Amino acid sequence: MTALDYETKQLAYQGAPVVVREDLVEAHRRAWRRIAEPGTWWTGEQRVAIAAETRNALSCSLCRERKQALSPNAVEGEHQSLGGLPAPVVDVIHRVRTDPGRLSKRWFEQIRAAGVGDAEYVETISVVVTLTSIDFFCRAIGTAAHPLPAPVAGEPARHRPQGARPEGAWVPMIAHANATGPEADLYGVHRYPNVGRALSLVPDEVRGLVDLMTAQYMPVHQVARASDDPGRAIDRAQMELIAGRVSALNECFY
Amino acid sequence: MLLRASGETTGKTFSVKAVTDGSHESGVPHGAALVRLAEATLGDAAAVLGASREEVRKALGPDGLVDAAAVIATFSKMDRIADATGIPLDGPMGLLTQGLREEIGINHFASASNTPESGALARAAARVLGPLAFRVLRRVRAPGRRESP
Repeated sequence: MTALDYETKQLAYQGAPVVVREDLVEAHRRAWRRIAEPGTWWTGEQRVAIAAETRNALSCSLCRERKQALSPNAVEGEHQSLGGLPAPVVDVIHRVRTDPGRLSKRWFEQIRAAGVGDAEYVETISVVVTLTSIDFFCRAIGTAAHPLPAPVAGEPARHRPQGARPEGAWVPMIAHANATGPEADLYGVHRYPNVGRALSLVPDEVRGLVDLMTAQYMPVHQVARASDDPGRAIDRAQMELIAGRVSALNECFY
Repeated sequence: MLLRASGETTGKTFSVKAVTDGSHESGVPHGAALVRLAEATLGDAAAVLGASREEVRKALGPDGLVDAAAVIATFSKMDRIADATGIPLDGPMGLLTQGLREEIGINHFASASNTPESGALARAAARVLGPLAFRVLRRVRAPGRRESP
């Protein structure tokens, strides 16, 4: 696959067996562009490398062996990596992509001790899950995964929000009351659940998450209101059944 | 939680056990086909995925397949965010869903350790308030809410 260059080409679903609604196509295009552009802590080149490594994790024999083991810690070895990223970052990418239900705080602390900053970690997670999400969408509708975008040159913003504080998760988060200054727009007038605030150590990743979620699922403020109808071709109960089954398969307690 | 709440707002009862046991009948229209699509998308068997995709397309139309795929995509993302950041359940949600979590058997998931155990008093209160919350949802049922046939 050749890289998508946003100056000349765009992500598209022309070859897909079903028509994809335009707001969803546009959201995927914006997500692809975000992967390509410099982030807050990683360059565009590094972000695209994280995306490439996310796909590469599916053919890693260490990940496959670990997935089969009773505990992922029972299998030693090295990941089959594309190169170009630090080994602890590769471990984060492979584990989050292939075995997310068995991540542990101890593992996270080892990753931090190996030199991965908490904000770099959050941004890495965001790129991995964005790529994973859109790849799963393509797989579900029966079309090939999109070529990765070509990186956009530039420097990361390196903005660490002052309002991010420890509050029980592995990484600091911005509480609603602390979303001020450059983060004043982050949650708008709505109460975000923990999962909506989980990436707030890198505020732009929350903005990207919300953008994608709004098109793929529903706006954040509708999620907890079970009587709200987001106007999809399947009803709310059908959406929640799928959501619950996927989460159970991923062994996600949250 | 949201599946049960969705049933309450439409005056229906859905079996949440279908979430952890894909062979269980949920009572959701075309639920079995949607569950099969979710399982096949996350699985490895291409032939099974092709068949389940076609089953959903026939039952719910091409737009239904797209929106089902979009939900699968969303939760492939949200689950990983939750597990990789170690977030606990949101306070009231943790308490109100205590019985539900026991019912569907997810308390053994590794990521359950990210949510601190509630005290005895809070657990007792949750046993009373949990069912009450669902009853309140039934009362605030949205008029004219659209449902699939």
